[in-house]
Parts: sequence; C-alpha cells; structure tokens
Amino acid sequence: MNARILELVGGPLRAMRQATFWWCLGLAALVAATISIWPAFKGSSGMSQAIDQLPAGVVQAFGLADFGTPAGFLRANLYDFFVPLLIVIAAVVLANGQTASEEASGRLELYLAQPIDRRAVLLGRAIAALVALAVITVVLLVVQLGADAAVDLGIDTGYLVSTIALCALLGALHGSLAVAIAGVRARPSLVLGAGIGVAIAGCVVASLFPLSSVLAPWRHISPWDWAFGGNPLDHATELWRYATLAVPSVILTAIGVLAVARRDISGA
Amino acid sequence: MNAADPVVQIDGLVKHYGKVEAVRGIDLKVARGEVFGFLGPNGSGKSTTIRCLLGLLRPTAGRIGAFGLDATRDGVAIRRRLTYVPGELRLPDRLSGMDFVSSIGCLRGGFDPARRDQLAERLRLDLHRHLRDLSSGNRRKVALLLAFLFDAELLVLDEPTNGLDPLMQHEFLGMVREARSAGATVFLSSHSLSEVQRAADRVAVLRTGKVVAQGTVAELRGRARQRIEVWFEDDPPEAELKALPDMVNPIIDAHRFTATLSGSIQPLIALLASHRVGSMLVEEPDLEEAFLDLYDGGPA
Repeated sequence: MNARILELVGGPLRAMRQATFWWCLGLAALVAATISIWPAFKGSSGMSQAIDQLPAGVVQAFGLADFGTPAGFLRANLYDFFVPLLIVIAAVVLANGQTASEEASGRLELYLAQPIDRRAVLLGRAIAALVALAVITVVLLVVQLGADAAVDLGIDTGYLVSTIALCALLGALHGSLAVAIAGVRARPSLVLGAGIGVAIAGCVVASLFPLSSVLAPWRHISPWDWAFGGNPLDHATELWRYATLAVPSVILTAIGVLAVARRDISGA
Repeated sequence: MNAADPVVQIDGLVKHYGKVEAVRGIDLKVARGEVFGFLGPNGSGKSTTIRCLLGLLRPTAGRIGAFGLDATRDGVAIRRRLTYVPGELRLPDRLSGMDFVSSIGCLRGGFDPARRDQLAERLRLDLHRHLRDLSSGNRRKVALLLAFLFDAELLVLDEPTNGLDPLMQHEFLGMVREARSAGATVFLSSHSLSEVQRAADRVAVLRTGKVVAQGTVAELRGRARQRIEVWFEDDPPEAELKALPDMVNPIIDAHRFTATLSGSIQPLIALLASHRVGSMLVEEPDLEEAFLDLYDGGPA
C-alpha cells in the first residue's frame, strides 16, 4: 500500500482524533455507569413486579420484558435504544464531518486540487469514518466485557460481541447513507437530517409496529429489526443479519463514491 | 503537445449555476512561459473559470483544458502538472501548518522538506502553529508555500495576495518572476490592478462572465484614458484644441487647458509643437481606468 493511499485514510483519521476520543469516552461512561447499578437490581423483585403491572404493549415497546434478568437489563438500558442510536449518530456525524461538511466549507478544495481522483478522496474519508467507528465500538466492547466481569452479569461473551458488532454495522449502514447523500449533494444539513432521521424512523418502526397487528409485518423494513430482531443478547445471531447490514453499507458507499464524480464540487 | 501549443486553452466556456450565468462564453489561450493576468471585479467569473480548469466544476458548454488535455475528462493528469491557490481559502483548522503541508505533499508526491523549510523562511511563516491560530495573511502564505513547493509547469493563482502585507506582496511577485524564469506558466487572477501590471505579460479583462478586453499590459494601458493638463505661455489655440480627435470634456481656463484623452496623444503633441507651452502634465493611466472605460461602454 503506498503512502498516498495511506494518507487518503490517515489524514481524515488524524482530523477525527479528538471526536473519536470523546465518543469513546462518552459511550464507555454510559455503559460503565449503567452497569454499575446492576447489583442494586440483582435479586430485587420490586422492579420486576412494577413492570408486570404495566400494559404489555408498553413493556414491549420500551424493551422492559425480562428487566430483572442481566440480558433484559442490558437491552432496556443500553442495547435496545441508547447505544445503537448513539453509535448511529456518531457514524453519521463523523461521515458528514469528513465529506459534506468539509466540502461545503471549502476545506476540501485544496485536497481536490491535487492529482487525485475525487472518488478516491471520498472513499478514503468514508473508510476513515468507518475505522473511527470501529475504534469506538472496540472500546465499547472492552468496557462492556470488563463491566460484565466486574459485576458478574454472566452473559455469554459471544452474544455481547454479536450485539456490539450489530450496533457497529447499524452505525456503518447509516454512515454509508450519509456518504451516499454527501456524494450526491454536499449539503451538511441534508446529510445529518437524513442520516439521523432514517435512524429514528427505523427505531420507531422496530419498536412500535409490532404493537399493531396491521403494522407488525412491516417492522421488517427497519434496519433495527434486521440488527436486533433476533434478540442477540439471548441467542446466537444468524449470519444473514450481519449481511443485511453490511451489503447495503457497501452499496450506499459505492453510490456516493460514483455520484461525486458526476457533479460540481461546492465552493466556499 | 509541442512548445508552441498553448498551455491553457479555453473555447466558448459557459458555466451556469441554475439560472445564474457565471461565465457566458470565454475564449482565451495562455502561452507557455508567460504570466497571464486574469482581471475582473468580484463576481465576474474568474474563480468559476479557474475551478473549471481544475476540473472541480463541469462546464455547461464549451471546452476548457490545459496541456492539450480536457479538464473534465483528464482532471487528474492536468492537476499533476499544476499547483493552485484558491481565492476563497479555507484550511483544515485542526491541523498544524506542518501537518497540512506534509499531508498535501504526501498526496501529491515528490515532496521536498528542505524546500518547504526554505519557502517557510522566505515567507516568514511559522508552520508549527495550528492553522486555526493563523491570521488570514499567514493562511494565505501556507497556500502560496504549497503552490511554489512543487515543480509545477503551471501555477494557477486565484487572488493570491489577498491579506498579504505590501512587503510580502513584493516577495510574492519575486517568486512569480523566478517561477517564470524557471519555465513555468502563471495564470494569475486578481482584482489588484497594480499587482497584474507588475507581474503579467498579457491580460484578459472579465466583465459579468465575458472577456471584454485581451492583450498585453501595454496595449491595455494604451486603451486607457489619459488626463491632460497644459499651461500655455500665450492664449491657448481654443478652436484647434477643441477640434482634436478623442478629446473628451476639453476645458480652457485662461492659459490652462485640461481634457481627457481617449486615443492617441500624437495629434495633441503635433499641435503643441507650434505653440509656446509652459508646462504639461499627462497622468499615467493604470488598468483601473482601462476597467472603467470597458465597463462604462461595454454591453452587459
């Protein structure tokens, strides 16, 4: 691999150092703080009884089923909503920051004035955002496994790895959507709005559609259902779930990379 | 491509942004080894033309290219042989000057750290500071350093001295002359007329997306108006003075004659030769006046 190709990824990665650090710290703090309260729940029947009083739809929508079990506790507090959503937001923000935002501000101009194909520049930045996302999720995994051991959650390590890998792939999918939009049009507000909007819509579909017998079959259109519909903290995840997140990510990135060659570059 | 072929060739270039016609049909050629001034006020289409040349914008119609290559199709090959200073300069704030120059150097290849240090010293630029902490003038120096860091055949400089102090502007002109002596061609966009007068061999003047004048600096200066003031020792030859061609707004006030001359000065000199003239003032035209003439008279 020559120095030019390394720089196409390494340069944006250096620019994301601080942001990556703060995302790692924030997610690690969230996981550590949340799991630190598990010992207070462990063996307490009060919370489970309180949840049993709630309507079944509410329990299902907010992922409160099995709240008193380690897996149920992690789902309700971290992996049904907060952690995946934060990872998706991190992916969209990082991808936008390296593509549409840089172009619209004019900071990409001097890079694109070099003898490099602009498709390579965008691809390098998409890969850099993916690497930053991988770093964030690896840190999250390490903290999760450490916390698991510290409070003796007893969840299968393979299930934890699968769950966090699915979070990362969900983030990659939305980050790739951001890259695709940035490739078509360098408008940061559009990229952020569409990326995060699709994530929230997907979360709502996966959480609320199952409550309606009419809408329930449509929950499968949500990437959140592809990722977490198999309950990865309790069961081994089928390979197709990884593929349904990874393959569209590759396609969306390719769309962005191809589209950027066919349009004008925004000026400052 | 042989040595006589133009380095930059633009044929009927048109560029629209939606309904805005930024460039409305530009034709020009820049010969190898010349400093070509590209003059015009803000919004006249200079930067749009340059961004088309770099392949950053796709022409709506017409053709633009360099070294016999087409900018849209062969952008990478063209950019390999040129360096560029953008008019609207935005640099990555989080990097130090050193990191940024190294990054561009790495992407471009053929990066010489010793030459970087020489240029930084010449421009009095501290590359160890973060780009966000630099003044606009020092940021401009970073872009200039990058433009002169590589042995480019063509330097495309869009408003390169914006924010530079006069001393550094002088230094910049020296660097342009050295680049030309080394065989480079320079495409210098500016609205600073004095800068172009001092540096350019030929000039094109833009107005609302069209070239309204093109020629050598001397030719353009010749087209400019000159303010004439003559003090006669006797009564001025009023009828003969007012009959002179190209004389605008002639005024005779006792022994003093003033007018604006928009053509050759020769008929006036011939007339004055047969009279007793105490003193005479011809104000040197600069391109500012040439601009005003072109803009006053030309179609929009």
